[in-house]
Amino acid sequence: MPRSKPNWSPLWLTCVLLGLTAVHAIDVLTVPQQVSLSANTSTQQLAISWLGGAAATFDLMILRTEFNMTVFYDTVSATVNRESGRHQWVWTSVEPLECTSLSVRIRSRDGETTSDWSHTQILQGNDLPSYEKIQVLPQDRIVPVGANTTFCCIMEEGKQFGIIKYGNTVMHETRLSRRSYAVTAVNQGLSSQSGTNVFCYDKLKSNSWGSVVFVGYPPLPSDFVCETHDLISAVCRWNGGRDTRLYGKRGTHYTLNNRKCDFSSTQKRDEWRVAQWEGNWTLVATNPLGRHVLTDSAELRHRVRPVAPESLNSAVHAWNATVQWKYDIYSSLALDCQVELSSQGYKTKRTFSGLGLRSVVLSDLEPDEDYSVQVRCGAQQNFWNWGSWSKPLSFKTNAYAPEALDVWMWINKDYTAQVIWKPLTRRQSHGLITRYEVTFWSPEENRQRTEFFLPDTSAVLINLTQIATVSGDDKVTATVIARNAAGVSQPASVHIPLRLTDVEPGPVARAVYTDSGFPLFWQRGDNAACAYVVEWYEASCKWDCPVGWIKVAAGTTNVSVESADFQPGVMYDISLYSITSEAPELLQRWQGYMQELVPSASVSLSTTQQGSDILLAWGEIPLADRRGFLLGYNVYVSSGSELTLLANLSDLGSREYTVKGLSEGSYKFTVKAYTSAGEEAGVTASITLEPYTDWLILEILASMGITAVFLVIVTFVCYKKRKWVKKAFYPDIPEPKLPGDWSRSQEPLDVKPSPHSLVHMVERPEWDSSKEVLIVIPEEEENEDGLGDEPADTDEPASLRYYNHVADERPIRPRFPDSSSSSASSLDSARTDVTYTGIQTSGSSLVFQLDPQGSSEGHQPQADLSFCRGGGGGGGGGGGGGGGGGYRPQMQSRAPSDDTDLVSPEPFFEPQAASSGGYKPQSSWHLDSPVEAGENDGLAPSLGSPTSITSTQFLLPDGEEHADERRSSSAATWFTNLLSSTKP
Amino acid sequence: MAEQEEQQQITALDAPVPGPSQTERAVALARLLHHECARLLQLYKEKETFSSDHTPDAGRIVSLSPDSEEPSTEQQVQLLHSALRQCLGLIHCVILKEEEEWGELEGDYETMRKNVRLRLEHLLSSTKVLVETENVTVEVTPDHQCNEETDGAGGVFGLKMWTYRVLLELVHWADHAAQTLHVLHTERAGTEDV
Repeated sequence: MPRSKPNWSPLWLTCVLLGLTAVHAIDVLTVPQQVSLSANTSTQQLAISWLGGAAATFDLMILRTEFNMTVFYDTVSATVNRESGRHQWVWTSVEPLECTSLSVRIRSRDGETTSDWSHTQILQGNDLPSYEKIQVLPQDRIVPVGANTTFCCIMEEGKQFGIIKYGNTVMHETRLSRRSYAVTAVNQGLSSQSGTNVFCYDKLKSNSWGSVVFVGYPPLPSDFVCETHDLISAVCRWNGGRDTRLYGKRGTHYTLNNRKCDFSSTQKRDEWRVAQWEGNWTLVATNPLGRHVLTDSAELRHRVRPVAPESLNSAVHAWNATVQWKYDIYSSLALDCQVELSSQGYKTKRTFSGLGLRSVVLSDLEPDEDYSVQVRCGAQQNFWNWGSWSKPLSFKTNAYAPEALDVWMWINKDYTAQVIWKPLTRRQSHGLITRYEVTFWSPEENRQRTEFFLPDTSAVLINLTQIATVSGDDKVTATVIARNAAGVSQPASVHIPLRLTDVEPGPVARAVYTDSGFPLFWQRGDNAACAYVVEWYEASCKWDCPVGWIKVAAGTTNVSVESADFQPGVMYDISLYSITSEAPELLQRWQGYMQELVPSASVSLSTTQQGSDILLAWGEIPLADRRGFLLGYNVYVSSGSELTLLANLSDLGSREYTVKGLSEGSYKFTVKAYTSAGEEAGVTASITLEPYTDWLILEILASMGITAVFLVIVTFVCYKKRKWVKKAFYPDIPEPKLPGDWSRSQEPLDVKPSPHSLVHMVERPEWDSSKEVLIVIPEEEENEDGLGDEPADTDEPASLRYYNHVADERPIRPRFPDSSSSSASSLDSARTDVTYTGIQTSGSSLVFQLDPQGSSEGHQPQADLSFCRGGGGGGGGGGGGGGGGGYRPQMQSRAPSDDTDLVSPEPFFEPQAASSGGYKPQSSWHLDSPVEAGENDGLAPSLGSPTSITSTQFLLPDGEEHADERRSSSAATWFTNLLSSTKP
Repeated sequence: MAEQEEQQQITALDAPVPGPSQTERAVALARLLHHECARLLQLYKEKETFSSDHTPDAGRIVSLSPDSEEPSTEQQVQLLHSALRQCLGLIHCVILKEEEEWGELEGDYETMRKNVRLRLEHLLSSTKVLVETENVTVEVTPDHQCNEETDGAGGVFGLKMWTYRVLLELVHWADHAAQTLHVLHTERAGTEDV
């Protein structure tokens, strides 16, 4: 500092002051000197120190050297190291300090006045040419979850940058220098066990390298506590907390009271043992991301947790056992010990106390039972925690006499009975049952009989009828005891009545099941009941039924019956008996279902048509299939797939229903029984409604009746108008005209079928041309005998003979002239086999009118059709009233008479008897009598007799000698009459 | 399921089988080892998210210098045995370093790694029987001290890359073993047939 001698002139003084001020300013803003850089690459911090004179603030500039890019420029207040007098300031870089070279310059600042910049100091990065290989920075960084980390990749010299991947994610890079590129992973998530890889590739992916970052948590243990087992040492435990995701040498390290816990590779990392109790404990958990401290403090006696009892043994009896164990180290410590008793899968705990407790007596055990015990103990005073359980000890208690049995009975309808008892459970039998002993005795007669049964027996069958015959008492008592190796049970008895009555105590009530069973109530009885028995069984069971029962104390008036055997849909009969010194007395009965279901079976349905109605009838559902109380029946009619309810019948007694007013067609009816649970599936019956058959029959009968009446009327009218009818439908046949003299010819006519017949058809102008008559001219005479010798039935035309009916001397006079052609036609017809029937037709018959009156127009022509045997009559009178031996009508010969004459055969006989020969109805012919045939002088050729189809009569030769025979044949007469009666 | 079958197959192959087909058994062992090494490499790449194009560019870790230019098959098997011993040393070293780095883990990779080590030991025992004579004695112990620096500057990534290279080396030498032993088996089988 320049100084000068004092000059007291004001001008000089002013100048001096100004000069001093200027010099002072220059001294304060000294350019920082000796700038030095110290880099901490792990923390990425750059410590900058310099000699900076008296300035308190400095401008600090940090640039990436290669690109001269400012990364930091700010005015800072640097601290001064009093020893070295150097200013120092620490800058933390986002990127690793090695990523690229950094240049640092500093200048002093005093207000707005600054000094010159210091010389630039360069922190050399790894991107210098001397580092040729590819690099990724930082390496092996450990960061907490959620941190942001910037990585840089320095490419190999001469290689072009490609990509940087954080795990599998390609990152967006920032170029820091010619070779250096940076990426930043933000909010980093937990890494895998081996860390997260960061890869850097060149453009061709021919060169790559990378780094690993571990992202995890700082340690966070909890529940740190120390205790003692042996009253000397300490065992400290803690919970390791969340997984820090840092393993191996980066994992959490623990120190306990500043002593490192060196865990082996197989050791749990949450427990550490210390040889001596220290009272105060400090656990420090440390990993690269942080540390956590836990403390604990306690007196030894307050942290006693006894070890597990060892060497357990037992002394066993029937109802108790003594368990002992070794516990030497706690002889002076008051202990609470827990004994866990296990049997049949159930566990109970019992607690015992005592100084140095080493044995306990377990009472209230069950005989002949397997037990397993475990023991653990804790300090009685300042109880801290139970010790570990001992190893289990098993033992079995001794056997004991069984408990008394629960005995009841079941009586069948046939006076057989069962003494039944509930099998003893394992707990009740107190040992293996070896047998049951049943004693029957009658108190009055003082007789008893004991029987022994196997252990699996629970019922004994007895015959009450047999006992009753030998016992005068009205009951027999059965006493049952059970025996095992340790003794016998108390006897249990039941009185069985020998005289049964079927008297019901009253109406059977309905029991409704609830969650607690069937609640039953009854009135207190007057009898001296010492107990009650409620018995139940399936209602559908009839013989040796499985019975359940409970005994109820006297004075009780209600009970709820519950059984695991109750099944849904099963009806149970429940009975209440009073137990006295006599036989049990039935007091009340119930029926009930545990749960009502729909019936399991359907009714049997039948359908019957009743006119236009249909009667549906069905049967009853068996009790076992009802599965509930039936409430009624629903009757449906099916229409397609739908059921339409026709009726709901709640009257169970009526099991039929009539569907009325149906039209013809097919119907399907379904009947479903229902309970409170619903209706069953139902049964369907089909029926086709047909027309009423009675009406049909009536219609038929009516039609027949009408027809019959009509016929009667027609017949009556025809009868009354028979003349008109005859005239209209059967006019008289014209008489044949004989061209020659027929008077001498009394010989039989032999009609030859020769075309050269001498019969001439004479046309009669006044007659219908269709009515032809035959004029027969006899060709030769023939004896009667000759005729009889001829065969009865022949086709020979020459053998057919027609006899002249003329018996007297009168010439045969044809009634009507006839043409020859007509005669020829008649002869032609005579040559055929059916000639005889054909002859009778109106147009072709040989008709000889005997009655002169027959020429009358009103004469019945057909009634006059008849054949006579020629000469047979021996000059018998002609027809009509006068002459014998002539032709006469087959059925009637006279003029119309009353019907009775027509019907009766007698009128024929009289004129026939008067005549010497003639014809009679064929029906009187004795076809099967050869004798008769012989007696008839060979007239037998009955087969040759012509037959009238129209009249169904045969023309037979008649004679007086046959009159008596005809009378004797009443059957033939009747037949003849019948046939005759059919002809009007 | 497939790994269980492989395990059964391994057990069957590992059982001492008397008879002339020792070479055949060695070939089968080598092929199985090759399969397991390939599987181990695949598991490692999956675990470390190494993409398929990420291949270390360094050369062989295990290299052999045969005494003669055209060694016989027996000599080749002897060389193979030596290489396999180095591979065994390398897998031992990998296991050691990885457990030091990350502790003892129990994943698929770690299980397969253990299998490969055991299989390699058995293959060495098998090849020893094949090449050992009265004049030639071979060892089956690992031939690696595991004190060498891993790749790079000792970082974890360097260890991973080195492990990757070791696994590739195992695949290579297991395949080589299968081929060489097959040649030996073919030759010996032909001789026996004659």
